[in-house]
Amino acid sequence: MRADPTKYYPLIPVYVAYLAMFLIGSNMTGMWQLMAMLAFYCALGQAFNIFLGMTGYVDFGYVAFLGVGTYGMALGITKLAHVEELGIGIIIIGLALAVVMATLLSLAVGAVALRLRGAYFAIATIGVNEGFRYFIEGAKIWNGSEGMIFTAELNQIFGRETASALSTFWADVLVLIIAAAAAFVTLYYMKSKIGYALTALREDEDAAKVMGIHVTKYKIIAFITSAVFAGLLGASAWALKTPYVFPPEVFEIHYTVEAIIIVLLGGAGTLLGPLVGGLIYGLSKYYLSIVLPGFQLLIFAPIIILIIVFFPEGIVGMLKNRVKGTALEQYVL
Amino acid sequence: MSLLKLDRVTKRFGGLLAVDHVSLEIEAGELIAIVGPNGAGKTTLFNIMSGVFIPDEGRVIFEGRDISRLPPYKRAPLGIGRTFQIPRPFSSATVRENIAIGAMFGTLGKKVSVDESLKIADRYIDMVGLQLHRGKAAGSLTPVEKKMMEIARALAMNPKLLLMDEAMAGMNPKDIDHMVAFLMRIKDEEKISVIAMVEHIMRAVAGLAERVMVMHQGAKLVDAATTEALSDPRVVEVYFGGAPKEFKKNWKKTNGPESDKGTA
Repeated sequence: MRADPTKYYPLIPVYVAYLAMFLIGSNMTGMWQLMAMLAFYCALGQAFNIFLGMTGYVDFGYVAFLGVGTYGMALGITKLAHVEELGIGIIIIGLALAVVMATLLSLAVGAVALRLRGAYFAIATIGVNEGFRYFIEGAKIWNGSEGMIFTAELNQIFGRETASALSTFWADVLVLIIAAAAAFVTLYYMKSKIGYALTALREDEDAAKVMGIHVTKYKIIAFITSAVFAGLLGASAWALKTPYVFPPEVFEIHYTVEAIIIVLLGGAGTLLGPLVGGLIYGLSKYYLSIVLPGFQLLIFAPIIILIIVFFPEGIVGMLKNRVKGTALEQYVL
Repeated sequence: MSLLKLDRVTKRFGGLLAVDHVSLEIEAGELIAIVGPNGAGKTTLFNIMSGVFIPDEGRVIFEGRDISRLPPYKRAPLGIGRTFQIPRPFSSATVRENIAIGAMFGTLGKKVSVDESLKIADRYIDMVGLQLHRGKAAGSLTPVEKKMMEIARALAMNPKLLLMDEAMAGMNPKDIDHMVAFLMRIKDEEKISVIAMVEHIMRAVAGLAERVMVMHQGAKLVDAATTEALSDPRVVEVYFGGAPKEFKKNWKKTNGPESDKGTA
């Protein structure tokens, strides 16, 4: 793309927020875990938004991409732990495996399900995560239902201290980097033909086709991109942070629902939305679990209803309309 | 070689014969109107031309190439643009973005960048007179503005053939005259062929088209020069359920026994 710096201004508030999260976490005692949780939710929203927000299609099986990403990292570490000269390269191989596995799964799911429209697509994807979980358990691949624990391998490769820093610090930094990268890709898509094609098909798929847009191609592009970030997120936030993986935990539909809430709350299809949604969701979940333990999930239902009634375009969607015509306009997207 | 040729195309929906062996040819630079009452099969015929439906029988030939089975997104880059009966804007996008989408994926396709497409969009915004609405969400326009935006979006595709589905329904006579003048102008300026579909606004047909095809119950009833077609008693009958006897007699006298030449 030709250099036009104003195009990238909307990234400024996003990156300032991620930097602030990093600084607060690393400088204030006791804040790192909270910031890590918020970063995870922001990254989850940012990744899912590329598909849900930009195409308007709801993928209920989305968590499966995080799941296979987690397995990618787990497999990389356990299978290659004996190759000593790899060093830090093993993490890169793990991330690459996560990307490859998420891509393959998204191609398989997308090739079938993306031929369906709207609600039919959503229904078709509901079983993907559960199906994959039972496949792993039933076929006994990758240790089946016993899962994989690779704390020992990490300690063996990096030594106890580095391995510990890896899971308590670097994994979270990686999550922040993934969130930032997903935000960049979102903006890049928005400003390119891909974004225009996705807007068109989200608004009216038949009209988009008649305008010359190969809708299936663009849906698959968004789907794979979104899945790749989910895979990376699983590999870092789940595999590196907690060095084990059990099928029932990583294919839990609960995370898909959280991702949907974050995207809709912040503003589907906006750049800033997943960040705002992730922060609000993460913070309220955190404080509700302290103030009213056990109620945090119950309270979300009324909150979601309120959002849908009062801010159907999400918080950032509403904000965008407010700042239209002001100097802030070019920073809010 | 004609630009678009329909060769006995037929489309059935279950037992309903929506389009019945219709043939039609349009030359480059020609402007024709397809008229017919509600349910005559005009929209189905349009959908066959733009690729929304695949014909059950017959062929669609564009610039000598058989495109009968080509999906719509492959027809647009060849040069077929269309508007819809009920406007279908990409509501959340701005007027400028909507029109730019036309430029991005039309015949210019890979040749234009996003920035160039937005510049092209500006040109068509000026042409259809939507300057004041450039940055507005397309969904917030009035119905007439949406129609103008759709025309601009289709023109930005830089088509060779523009299919206009009921472009003037719901407009007042002043708007219709304005639109007719506009269509005549762009046809010459942009050097494109136009097939306009009109249900019953004869004011528009008379002012617009050199040639008219009248459809009735899926079949082609008349395909003739405009004045001739509109005074054909069969056409009058389709619209009014029977022409007055006087009318028929006079018409026979002036047109003579060859009056059946338009029959399909």
